[in-house]
Amino acid sequence: MAGLSFDHYKRNQHLAAKGVATQKFTSTGTTIVGCKFDKGVIIAADTRATAGMIVADKNCAKLHRLAPTIWCAGAGTAADNDKVTELESSNLELHSLWTGRAPRVVTALTHLKQHLYKYQGHIGAHLILAGTDPTGAHLFSIHAHGSTDVGPYMSLGSGSLAALAVLESKWHDSLTKEEALALCAEAIEAGIFNDLGSGSNVDVCVMEIGEPARLQRGFRMPNPKSVKSRNYKFVRGTTPFFDPEPQDAMVVDEVAA
Amino acid sequence: MPIEHSFNPYGDSSGGSTLAIAGKDFAILAGDTRHSTGYSIDSRNESQIHSVGDGLLVSPNGFSADARAFVDDVHNDIIWYHHKHNKKLAISSCARSIMHTLYRRRFFPYYVSPILVGIEPDGTGAVYSFDPVGSYEREASRAAGHASELLVPFLDNQVRKANQVDPETGKPLAQHDLDLETALQLVKDAFAGAAERRIQVGDWLEIAVVTKDGHKVERYPLRRD
Amino acid sequence: MDPRADLRPLKKGEVNLGTSIMAIKFKDGIILGADSRTSMGSMIANRVTDKLTQIHDKVWCCRSGSAADTQSVSDYVKFFLDQCTYDFGQKPTARIAANLFRELCYRNKAQLTAGIILAGYDEETGGEVYSIPLGGSLHKADYAIAGSGSTYIYGLCNKYYKPDMEREEAIEFVKQSLTQAIRWDGSSGGVIRMVLLTKNDPERLLFLPDEYRADEYPSQTPVSA
Repeated sequence: MAGLSFDHYKRNQHLAAKGVATQKFTSTGTTIVGCKFDKGVIIAADTRATAGMIVADKNCAKLHRLAPTIWCAGAGTAADNDKVTELESSNLELHSLWTGRAPRVVTALTHLKQHLYKYQGHIGAHLILAGTDPTGAHLFSIHAHGSTDVGPYMSLGSGSLAALAVLESKWHDSLTKEEALALCAEAIEAGIFNDLGSGSNVDVCVMEIGEPARLQRGFRMPNPKSVKSRNYKFVRGTTPFFDPEPQDAMVVDEVAA
Repeated sequence: MPIEHSFNPYGDSSGGSTLAIAGKDFAILAGDTRHSTGYSIDSRNESQIHSVGDGLLVSPNGFSADARAFVDDVHNDIIWYHHKHNKKLAISSCARSIMHTLYRRRFFPYYVSPILVGIEPDGTGAVYSFDPVGSYEREASRAAGHASELLVPFLDNQVRKANQVDPETGKPLAQHDLDLETALQLVKDAFAGAAERRIQVGDWLEIAVVTKDGHKVERYPLRRD
Repeated sequence: MDPRADLRPLKKGEVNLGTSIMAIKFKDGIILGADSRTSMGSMIANRVTDKLTQIHDKVWCCRSGSAADTQSVSDYVKFFLDQCTYDFGQKPTARIAANLFRELCYRNKAQLTAGIILAGYDEETGGEVYSIPLGGSLHKADYAIAGSGSTYIYGLCNKYYKPDMEREEAIEFVKQSLTQAIRWDGSSGGVIRMVLLTKNDPERLLFLPDEYRADEYPSQTPVSA
């Protein structure tokens, strides 16, 4: 059968109803934003991944490449975002090979929304899709259930309200690249500092018409790790361990020739 | 489907974490100043360390609204003790009093796991820790709050020298009394580490050092994200 | 689950077009109107949404309910109508489009939360308005209102709608009706969008809150920068 397997769905629901703890997925409790400027479009993201209230990854990448000039920022379940963008990047490549044309952002948009709609929200990917193609620069958002929106600026994820506060107060319709870059970074920083699900650094990707897209990991790093006041190196031999001979752990079985 | 309505008196707003270490002639109570509910920060600058009189410090650890009511209770009990007996309340007696305060609400508990810190009449530093309904004990160190499961193993290893042997003899490393300097460094590093991995911990670290002469509090910055 | 109709609230985390939408017939053709608010629970996910969707040159619809469901259904109808054009070599009518919507909404009623108003213009009929509410029924009318905000303007529209209104009067009718719907419905808001379908090319109109609510809050009239 093509597609995802839902074999264990009923069993897991039954278990959950009986009070068995459900698995915690790594979620990108996230702030992601996108913003258009005069000659292109920018997307940005924080770099914290969480599993419940624990930081699972302090510097994860939430900006995914779908095509050389089409990029995507993901919020929601980390694995779903990784897989859905991986699938789409593959489909776009095949599609552009087949048509002999550069891939378009609306193509990615349509593919993604139809895929997510098919799974009725069970694939927890919330995306900001942006890029440049022969028809210009584009910016879209896609929710897990498959609905899409268009706009000159947008934010998604748990820190979206903090980010949107910045965007709504400072965005205007004639931003230069540098201004848009600063605005996106400031919006992400609002998420990083005011939303506990978001943190660490700001990643950005600039897609300018006629230029190759430029990804900048760690565009801003407002949370450097502090220097420890003590040294926690252990002298070799500090940790006690058992050292059984390998043959003691082996089962020897002789087979008649 | 019938619609059920209910009121939950407990919320999920709470402080970050606190940590206490008892030394030979001092005791440390440290805590971060971030308070949060879910993914939102309620305050970046709200102390979890409360001086309740007689050189005793309490950190309530838990649901913020109960925490405040609990500290007020403890404070009041000490004031009434002064009125009735006209003398200082010993830390062991304060611990017993807190036990009663908590157990009195056995069937509608304060959602707190308090730590009490001070100096015993014999001059040694003391840490008492409690569960929400009053079970308590005196300990060498204790961590509570959201990052307790991150802080406790670190404390076990560095204060109690757990899982460490002398490379020469192969014997477990001896636990010796911490000097204040080392203890403070451990507390700072423990919180820096907790703030890296626990999203509820951050903003500022407050460290209170209690000696026979009273207590003083120092503040250090933590991650703000 | 009741298999007859999906009258539940939206699926968890689903994007909702808590909406005020309408379409009317007037002298020259059709006017479709909508607010622009999209909500997720209490959050406004998009304040400038375009709920007026083009199905064919002069066949348009207003979407209410789940954003994902209505976008998906619209895309299907758009695809089918395109096929029809190629197969039969003539422009599709509003009637055909409305029946396609009805078919999809009726056959998949257990899975869908989609309330749609469909309207189209052709020289033959001079414009038609159809309403396809939640269960998948189809109703032809001179005007239709739908979405959560429509409940507040049933009386208003009933009293003031006239067939064969002049262009300006018709625009004003839609604007005033939607203004009231937005005024009283918490999940409607933003700008008012309109599309005019006449013998000419489709024409879009946009009204900002500063304008359509100016008389309501005189103090909030636009402040020049």
